[in-house]
Amino acid sequence: MNGFLRAAAVARKDLRVEWRGRQTITATGMVALLMILLLGFVVGSEPARAAAILWVAMGFAAVLGIPRVTQGEVDQQALETLLLYPGSREHLFWGKCAALTVMLSALLVALLVLLGVLFGVDVWDHGGALVGVGVLGIVGLSVIGTLLAALVLHVRGRELLMPLLLLPLALPVVLGCVRLTEAILTGTAAGLWPAVLVSFDVVSVLVCPILFEVVMDEV
Amino acid sequence: MRDVTFVLPPHSVLLVVGPNASGKTTLLRLLATALRPTDGGGSVFGHDLVRDADAVRVLTAFVGTSAGAYDLLTVRENLAFAAAMRGRPDAPVATWLDRVGLTPVADDPVRVLSSGMKRRLALAQAWLAAPRLLLLDEPYGGLDRDGVALVAEMTEDTTRRGGSVVIATHEWERVMSEADAVLALAAGQPVEVGPVAQLTAADLAAAAGGRR
Repeated sequence: MNGFLRAAAVARKDLRVEWRGRQTITATGMVALLMILLLGFVVGSEPARAAAILWVAMGFAAVLGIPRVTQGEVDQQALETLLLYPGSREHLFWGKCAALTVMLSALLVALLVLLGVLFGVDVWDHGGALVGVGVLGIVGLSVIGTLLAALVLHVRGRELLMPLLLLPLALPVVLGCVRLTEAILTGTAAGLWPAVLVSFDVVSVLVCPILFEVVMDEV
Repeated sequence: MRDVTFVLPPHSVLLVVGPNASGKTTLLRLLATALRPTDGGGSVFGHDLVRDADAVRVLTAFVGTSAGAYDLLTVRENLAFAAAMRGRPDAPVATWLDRVGLTPVADDPVRVLSSGMKRRLALAQAWLAAPRLLLLDEPYGGLDRDGVALVAEMTEDTTRRGGSVVIATHEWERVMSEADAVLALAAGQPVEVGPVAQLTAADLAAAAGGRR
């Protein structure tokens, strides 16, 4: 219970700081918007293209936003204080991961609405299924992202390193979400992709918090 | 750091002095478990600094030179966050704000505070943990006379509860009346260790300057 309260306190704190500063959501939102507009012009705005454009935009927006999860602590000179609070670092992981999940979810909802307008995608009819895919994708991106944000914390050139690490690691998530979203929008079979996404999420959820503790011990 | 050995009994205050880069902050960060010793070791109230670091963190509070607070959160929110992270979500935040003189700015964001007020917030964040080992690194920076008295009150409160306090400072004259022992460092090594009563002001001035 204590661990849950600590994680909730971290998530609440991160979301409050983000709400007042709006740094992450502004940066990720702008990148995602530009990606959607650019890709829409380049490959066309047919509904069939919407799935790939949506998740590529989400992936690149995540690359930009994820380092802020831990970089904010360094900028505020609060990282050492945070790490010296008693209790498992896993609680910090879950708090930060929860805050990132909320931010990416808000971004996904905005992008789905945008796709509905620009690409003529019937978002409302497929709302339930799209939310399901969104949850699977965002959990995967948040869990991997929170770990990587800790990993690149004190690395020079982390802006370059983050896409090099995140994009290959998150490829199963992006690919799975594209295929599932496509299947939903076109009414075709999803094949094994739901199983791939769920498996990836389960493994990430089990492994990443443990690795986060190890990484934070070395910070 | 090399050859630094000391035992700090409960109810006592250790003053750590020395010139810049003598290892004062490093010593405090080692005791707070922010750093791991590459060799040697230590324990805090029977808990090993490396093997039992989390138990040490439960007993310890470290006030460093930065406030460790979030600029966009209010003073009250920062204190409530510290309380929650210390496993004391029900701590009377308003009482602590009053105790450190931050009630008038309780709902202001930390970014508008002066350095002295930020220092008071850092002290409150540590104090509400009721630590058994209180580590203060240059605690007087930016503090007015009331703020200095607050540090003395915090030190007295900790020792009265059976705890110990380690204060690293260049302003050692302020702590002389409260300190029980002195550890003087130079280049990471002790140049003077002993009870305050056995040292003259001239000894201390020399030790604080890194001279034996």
